Amino acid sequence: MVDELIETKDGLKLRKLVELKTSTAEEYQNAMLDRVEYFKKKNQQKSVFNSTIQNTVVQGLSTILDLKIQAEKALGEENMKKVHDFLDEFLLFGL
Amino acid sequence: MYHLDGTDVLNEKYYRKTASLCPECLERIDAVVQEEDGKIFMIKNCPEHGDFKDIISSSAKYYKWTHYQMKNKDGTIAWQFEKDGEANPADCASDDDRGCPYNCGLCNEHLSTCSLALIDLTNRCNFNCNFCYANVQKSGYLVEPSLEEIDKIMKHFRSKPIPAPAIMFTGGEPTVRKDFPEICKMAKDNGFKEVIVATNGYGFQKKDGGLEWTKKVYEMGLDTLYLQFDGINNVTYEKTRSIKNLMPYKMRVVENCRKAGLSSINLVATIVKGITDIEVGNIIQFALDNIDVVRGITFQPVSLCGRITAEEMDELRITNADVIKEIENQTGGKIRMDEAWYPLTTIVEFGRLIAYLADVEPVEFTCSPDCGFATYLVVDPDTKEMVPIMDYFDPLKIIDFANRFWDKVKHKEKQPIKFFEGMLGDMGKTLDTGLNFLDKTQLRARFLLGMLQYTKKPGKLMEMFSRLLLNGDWESVSSFTHGTLLLSSMHFQDGYNMDIERVKRCIVHFGVAMPDGSVKEISFCTMNTLHRENIEKQVAKKITKKVKEEFDTSTGQTREEIEQEVAQNGGIRKEE
Repeated sequence: MVDELIETKDGLKLRKLVELKTSTAEEYQNAMLDRVEYFKKKNQQKSVFNSTIQNTVVQGLSTILDLKIQAEKALGEENMKKVHDFLDEFLLFGL
Repeated sequence: MYHLDGTDVLNEKYYRKTASLCPECLERIDAVVQEEDGKIFMIKNCPEHGDFKDIISSSAKYYKWTHYQMKNKDGTIAWQFEKDGEANPADCASDDDRGCPYNCGLCNEHLSTCSLALIDLTNRCNFNCNFCYANVQKSGYLVEPSLEEIDKIMKHFRSKPIPAPAIMFTGGEPTVRKDFPEICKMAKDNGFKEVIVATNGYGFQKKDGGLEWTKKVYEMGLDTLYLQFDGINNVTYEKTRSIKNLMPYKMRVVENCRKAGLSSINLVATIVKGITDIEVGNIIQFALDNIDVVRGITFQPVSLCGRITAEEMDELRITNADVIKEIENQTGGKIRMDEAWYPLTTIVEFGRLIAYLADVEPVEFTCSPDCGFATYLVVDPDTKEMVPIMDYFDPLKIIDFANRFWDKVKHKEKQPIKFFEGMLGDMGKTLDTGLNFLDKTQLRARFLLGMLQYTKKPGKLMEMFSRLLLNGDWESVSSFTHGTLLLSSMHFQDGYNMDIERVKRCIVHFGVAMPDGSVKEISFCTMNTLHRENIEKQVAKKITKKVKEEFDTSTGQTREEIEQEVAQNGGIRKEE
């Protein structure tokens, strides 16, 4: 399971901790996607993952996020702070 | 902790008054919580038993951060980690003049609702851990509620104005009960969203029939195992559980859950200084290696029961701050103490807002900020590395935005729009329903856009997070947690460090069916420190033939006999 082990005097095996092994990172995403498939099959049309409207909204949000990340890179930190402040006020306006 | 950088808070010595218990006589006494030498201590005096001093946090900076109050320009508190809960009506009268914690039941001093209901299913166990508070061999009597009593307790928790969303079966070892599958079904039938068992793995790991049993309890409604898991080395378990070669036993639990499709195990490590604190990195790596079935890890610094000397206290006491510092050390600095960890109360307003917008039951984490800390590990889509979820977001900005948003819309929760009702009667009600739907839709859109502006990474996990914000539903929550690893550290109180202000905010409550037909609801820490013995003596039962036919630890078996039983059931060779 772990490559580098240190053994103490009383036989306790400790992992030599330099960094977390992340070779299983893909499996995390797969575990999540497997769960989505599980709900899709189990709950059929009742599943939120089978909702066309919701899937479209989520895709839309994902696209907005991509654009936002690119915009942040282009605008720089100072300008983005101003944009965030403006958006905060705009989104909270009238509530 | 960057809240505090540049503020005067770091230079000011922390000090506050509270109430506590004398660890000897368990009488309520005054106490102070104060900073000394970069640490936080509780200091108190009992007129009869003298002075007591116990460490609350080994990091004053971290502690001060969790008690930080963000102020408005006019000096009022804009935000803090300590939240006001929405308490259910009291269940019992406050008969004892001494007040909290002697009136547990719950009384009207309690400030939070129950988020996790606990039922001790039995005090029988196939292990005999020396620090366990609930053990038939030590108590000398059997505590085991009947199915009717269990149903009554479940209905108690679910019938409150704010019902408990989750239930955990505790013990002893709950899976020694043959009717355990029926109890899981009963929990689902009573409407609990999440059904959990705190287990050493006994029922799940059996070589003969363990897999079939695991499938059965999963089908009957069990969602999650809180699996006792002290480390990856047999020698660790020899020290903590006095049983040899226990890792194959734990591995069989994981394997059987994997085969049965029960993909939600939370590893629970009792952290003892010098014994299991050196295993925290190993446990995290074990979780990463078994991510298809392991959803999280809960580190629990050991509570100290019974009388101990000041020297023993120094040797044994370990705090949440020690644990998360050790995690930073043992993960090569990946999970940073000063940035990755947040008190559980951080997400209170966030949770309320999602519950309101999505029309789902809220889950209230209005415990004390001292109770515990948590972080999520997630996969960075750019580097494929595991990183704390804080790398995904600007956490303070997100929290701040959610708090301001909730502050502006929370009145709508109790006062929905009623524009047409007065004018058009029933027709008006229908129109108002439509108006409220449209209002919530525009609020969701605003909130989601607000969240997105402080999100730093794209990817599948963020898509799932968007769904979670949109729906707050179980499918989205469950799928999101399958793409992450939740790390938390929960320090339960004992007689030495009990803070009554913390007790009042407890969100983890035991339910006990009393002989007079009532149900007592008792906060976790006071149950184990103060009430357990008295309550158990009232509900103790005779050892029946039925009990004897089941796995029987109630008749004074020797340690060797218990180990042999475990060996037979778990395939552990004693001589190893």
